[in-house]
Amino acid sequence: MMSNGTGYGGHEIYGGLAGESAIEAHAVGRRYRRGWALRDCSFRLPAGRICGLVGPNGAGKTTLMSIAANLLEPTAGTLRVFGAAPESAEAGRRTAFLAQEKPLFKRFTVAETLRLGRELNPGWDQRAAENIVRAGNVPFEAKVGTLSGGQRTRVAFAVAFGKRPDLLLLDEPMSDLDPLVRHELMSTLLAEAAERGTTVLMSTHMIAELENTCDYLLVIAEGGLRLAGEVDELRTAHAVLTGVHSDGRTPPEVAYHTVVETRTSGRQFTALVRPDGPVSGGPWQASTPNLEELLLAYLRSPEAPPLISPSSYVAPQAVAA
Amino acid sequence: MSTMTSTGSTGGPAAAPSDPAGAKAGRGLRLSGMNWLVWRQHRAAYWTLLATAAITVALMLYGRQQMVTYLDGYGWPDLKSGWEERFNRKPLSMAGQLLGYAPILIGVFLGAPLLAGDLEGGTAKLVNAQSTSRVRWLATKLGVTALVVTVSTAAASAVFTWWWSPVKSSQYALDWSDGNAFDSSGPVPVALTLFTVVGGIAIGMLLRRTLLSIVVTFGFAVVVQMVWSHFRMSLGDVITVTTSNGVGGDNFPKLPDGAYAVDQSYLTASGDLIGYGSCNEATDKAANACLEKAQVVGWNVEYIPISQMSSMQWLGASILLALTAGIAAFVILWGRKRLV
Repeated sequence: MMSNGTGYGGHEIYGGLAGESAIEAHAVGRRYRRGWALRDCSFRLPAGRICGLVGPNGAGKTTLMSIAANLLEPTAGTLRVFGAAPESAEAGRRTAFLAQEKPLFKRFTVAETLRLGRELNPGWDQRAAENIVRAGNVPFEAKVGTLSGGQRTRVAFAVAFGKRPDLLLLDEPMSDLDPLVRHELMSTLLAEAAERGTTVLMSTHMIAELENTCDYLLVIAEGGLRLAGEVDELRTAHAVLTGVHSDGRTPPEVAYHTVVETRTSGRQFTALVRPDGPVSGGPWQASTPNLEELLLAYLRSPEAPPLISPSSYVAPQAVAA
Repeated sequence: MSTMTSTGSTGGPAAAPSDPAGAKAGRGLRLSGMNWLVWRQHRAAYWTLLATAAITVALMLYGRQQMVTYLDGYGWPDLKSGWEERFNRKPLSMAGQLLGYAPILIGVFLGAPLLAGDLEGGTAKLVNAQSTSRVRWLATKLGVTALVVTVSTAAASAVFTWWWSPVKSSQYALDWSDGNAFDSSGPVPVALTLFTVVGGIAIGMLLRRTLLSIVVTFGFAVVVQMVWSHFRMSLGDVITVTTSNGVGGDNFPKLPDGAYAVDQSYLTASGDLIGYGSCNEATDKAANACLEKAQVVGWNVEYIPISQMSSMQWLGASILLALTAGIAAFVILWGRKRLV
């Protein structure tokens, strides 16, 4: 079953293009009647990573995940899950998807919900699923419809985990959980992922959560990819410049670099740049941005040039296979 | 804290994967995989349908019992004349009428929500996030539902046909060309219901809203009934008899028992047909003068004998079943790509 080759703690090994791709997207686009929800999205997600998928509402996060989970077909481009088409039986077996609304059959009991997972998945791990349910003291004979939102999310998590996926797609997984449960489920998630080398792609609004959990990042806005790569790689590729501005203008030297965003408050200016050369020596102080600063800058500046790190870069394909 | 989980008392980690619902395993056949899921999800609807069919069958068996008791008094199976006089045709025609509603009711309450519910509630995503293919899911939903519908309607139809059979040749009990008889016996109830149910499933798949699908499926089912009633008799081969010994007195051609008259008209000396109503005059004398003038020489009567009923039913049922198969294939092909 463990065929993704990264093995134990795979997501902690940084750098390099080596290893399998959990997801490879080539110019993936999806158009709805009202327009493109996702456009020309090309990246690869190396296997074994815990990847945060960030973007404003309506940016195309759910669309991207739905394509990977074979719930949607891309209008343009191709996407591969472990080298296989999403609609293939192999990809279906290796991928688990937890939709945002955590759909479950309301009239099923918790035990029956787990049985659903067991009946429909050859690699089902009943013990892992039961443990997640049990950790929340959710009674197995309770009807799903009578559970609280948090309990229901837990059961939905159990179904996703019990499948023993190699790629776990979680769409806003923590949105209706209290902080304690969120923390506990996140620890479970990370422990399981580390043990099995599971790749996790998780969309979220909670940037603070990402800092502790994710080692990889995809940022999409307005249907396009803005940032892709390892968290540390992305952070060190940027610099925050802070200084005192004169007459409301940032120093012209800032423009020597690729500027993502500049902001002024009072007499201070702050610029987030991608250095094209040394950043010391200007009339400012330079520092490495934290994840939150980086994300907010990119989310606020959709016109900034995207940055796709080498580990997530895919060469353009002439012909889609 | 896990006292509610397991049925086994063996303890130890090996017992963990035991099925908490396994206590019922001894009862009947054990479903697994997608069959289990579909049955579990829709079991209330399936059991309601099966139970209703069982009650209907029981009531109709009682009705037949009552009828046979009455007919025995008239020497059944060789019925003496006059048996019609005190014959109560109400139970039979009422049963036929009720069976006629089955396609609409089952289509609306079982067919329409079958996929619409999953699409509206999001559970289609849950099922499709598992390892089984979407085609398998759709095919199982269609298959199990079709099986339950077929069993229920076939049982009801068979018993109704049996109930009616002693008095079938008599127009007095039921007119075989009427919907109460034609649509409630033989293969027709099964085919009409399957067609309406699968149509409702497709409507639900396209509309993705349970309530809306129910309303639209109701309209669809009513239209199906109207179209079917309109074309029902076109399934038969019309037989024409002509006479040339006048139209007065007893010269009307003798039709077999239970024949369904399609049309009757006057035959003229030149071989033309003129309408039956074209010589409706105030007095017999005037009418005769009119017939004379038109040179009417006899009758031209078109009819369908009751002996054709069965083949008409099977022909109609095959057309409906072919359409049903077409819609089912559409559901699978469309849903395979675009569902969820």
